[in-house]
Amino acid sequence: MIRDFLAADQCLKCNICTASCPVAKVTDLFLGPKAVGPQILRFRHPDYALPNVGEEWCSSCGTCSLVCPHDVPVAEMIARMKERPTRKVPWRDRIISRPEVIGRFASRITPLANSLLKSPRLRSALEKYLGISSKAILPALARTNFKKALREYYVRTPNRLEEISRLTVGYFHGCSTNYFEPRIGELAIAILERLGLYVFLPPQVCCGLPLQSNGLFDAARKLATQNIKYLEPFLRERIPIIGTSPSCTLAFKHNYRAILGIDTEESRLLANSTYDFFEFILHFMPDELFRIKFRGVAARALYHPPCQLRSHGIGTPALTILREIPELELEVSESACCGTAGTYGMKSERYEVAYSVGENLFRKAITMDADFIMSDSETCRWWISKHTNLPAYHPLEILARSMGIV
Amino acid sequence: MTDVLVIGAGFCGLYAAIAASKRNARVTLVASGHGGLSISHGCIDVWSSSAPSRALSRLKKTHPYRLAGKDALNTALETLDLISHDADYPFIGTLSKPTILPTAFGAIHTTAYAPLSLAQTGIQKNIPISIASIAGLRDFFPTLLSKNLEMNGYTVRRTMQLPLPGPVPQRDLYATDIAQRFADSSNRERISRLWRPRLAGVDRLGLPAVLGLHHSQRVFRSVQDLLGVELFEIPTPPPSLPGLRLENMLSDTAIKMGVDIILGSPAAGRIDHSGKNKRVSGVSLQTAGGEQNLDAHSVILATGGLLHGGLVAGRNGNIVESVFNLPVEYAESHQEWLKPSPFDEQPYEKYGLLVNSRMQPIDLHGDPIFENLFAAGGIIAGADRQIEGSRQGIDIATAQRAVEAALE
Repeated sequence: MIRDFLAADQCLKCNICTASCPVAKVTDLFLGPKAVGPQILRFRHPDYALPNVGEEWCSSCGTCSLVCPHDVPVAEMIARMKERPTRKVPWRDRIISRPEVIGRFASRITPLANSLLKSPRLRSALEKYLGISSKAILPALARTNFKKALREYYVRTPNRLEEISRLTVGYFHGCSTNYFEPRIGELAIAILERLGLYVFLPPQVCCGLPLQSNGLFDAARKLATQNIKYLEPFLRERIPIIGTSPSCTLAFKHNYRAILGIDTEESRLLANSTYDFFEFILHFMPDELFRIKFRGVAARALYHPPCQLRSHGIGTPALTILREIPELELEVSESACCGTAGTYGMKSERYEVAYSVGENLFRKAITMDADFIMSDSETCRWWISKHTNLPAYHPLEILARSMGIV
Repeated sequence: MTDVLVIGAGFCGLYAAIAASKRNARVTLVASGHGGLSISHGCIDVWSSSAPSRALSRLKKTHPYRLAGKDALNTALETLDLISHDADYPFIGTLSKPTILPTAFGAIHTTAYAPLSLAQTGIQKNIPISIASIAGLRDFFPTLLSKNLEMNGYTVRRTMQLPLPGPVPQRDLYATDIAQRFADSSNRERISRLWRPRLAGVDRLGLPAVLGLHHSQRVFRSVQDLLGVELFEIPTPPPSLPGLRLENMLSDTAIKMGVDIILGSPAAGRIDHSGKNKRVSGVSLQTAGGEQNLDAHSVILATGGLLHGGLVAGRNGNIVESVFNLPVEYAESHQEWLKPSPFDEQPYEKYGLLVNSRMQPIDLHGDPIFENLFAAGGIIAGADRQIEGSRQGIDIATAQRAVEAALE
């Protein structure tokens, strides 16, 4: 924690973070990142816990850290405050922060689970007893798990890769691709293979980010340690890990070290070897990629770079590539966050605020008369799609279309 | 490989990125965080004296304005005018006559170009005005403001506090909070209904700048119509909406023009040792995951001066340039950096890089240090932009010149 205190004193109180915070802008229930983060740390005392001035209103979008001109890790400070020994984490938060457990359980009874999710009775019961907003998006389960469908891609140890002479990458699919949207993973692999790469699935568990956002740090650390253990042998062979969900890859790149405090040689190796899908193909495969003659995709589309992707500090590599697709009329969302920020928008007491955060974005999509929306994060896609009634795709789905893969 | 890599996301960097993009260059802008626009008044200060154009021609040859040249300033002002019209966020003013505006503390701010909502009426000594604050808004005090204005010879007829409808807010409000309440037209009507009866006898009303963040021009006009009085906005202490609107206007324009913006990653300069000429090859970015190299044909440094991160003062009294470690012009003795009064001309304000008329940082012999490296804005030595009232003018004039030289 000493690092936090030092960084707090580095805060100039310029309020640039407050001005950019998408939550503070729409509700006075949140004091704003400066007040809840560096400012409250001024009241630190070795014998007393820090006062809580409403950190739970922070959606963990990370915008404050991103815009801070003085390198204060505001969002990280606030995230760590959520790990209070005295804090009572509601059951609801313990449930929605475990997509892998939910997915594993529900996928045994897929048809039943899917029809139950549509039942208004169940939804109002979930709202009443657990505080999961009845308007929140609980996505339908896919008929088959991604991992099960692509069993032949599974590689347990790097020894199995010795024969392969091509450039090899491991694909981290995350929970949403595995249980809800296997098509994203299938297309990701198809694109990478078209670019000449050898792709495999390393052993993996949930990245743990939802647990961390809900203040369940010990459980998040367990998953982080598990992932590091699974991936380390591949990392030692200098095999990059590519993800299509920017929140999972952000956890690998940044949160394990900067928020969960797992700052080891292995975690640094993982951070340095993890890439966002578009970041990887733009920087490492540009010749292979731009050699392809892209087919036109005649449509008007709004691209929303998720807050979690912005926090990678790599800009918007998907946008750079999408701009090369003929006939695709692109507009870019200026909103720092769509509002749902993972599990935040699922909670009854946060739903209205989450909606207000995204309102400008929804309005833009509707007034520009977009045919569809693109965003790299699954929760953003589901959320924006619900509030605009427009289809939402991962940008790689449109790239796959332009490459003639679908 | 990008044609022009701009470092810095303040007014200067954003303008440079747009100017380069207008010349059909492939542009990438990188910055470790946002620039200072959200703590700025959002106007374009060119020179604080009453006749800027005459004053500018009398400057020292080493002043950034003289180095960049008059044409660069004029081109930049025209470009900015086009951008602001496209964005429906018009600025008014001219270089021949200054625009006089009150600050949030009742001081007088002399500027060249100001957003319409701040400057459409201006303030004049013979026309009385009224000043209102809004209940719950922090750091805005109409009595202080009007007493100070009166000391400057202006007449304030009434000061008042206007309420907001709805429940009492849970905390002090920022200008951005109130702007959100003005975003929606039915809300604007509710607020105006509450305010109208309180404005008896008021025909010119100064409000803190809270009238909308997005489409603010539309918001301003509609509130003015609803209230039936002439309005002018006064920029607040941070976060300042006029600054944020300018920031949004520039970054939206840059994105629309295809500029790749990479925010949140500090940059370290990379030098190209391969050729005979001294060149930079780009930067290495410290991203969340690790280092990433970005290559560029030319690099424009728009990282700002000592207060902004472009120059960094060490504990042992040295000043270094933060990206390429370029030589900096400054007084070696720490004692000489500051004058006792904050209202004095401050020596440290003039510290920075020596550049030639192509905006290339130069060494003591006057030779460019790298042939494809250019500087713009507050990082350039030779101007006390605070005292001169020249901050934004120098930003865009030098950025314009740097872009032209980089793409020659």
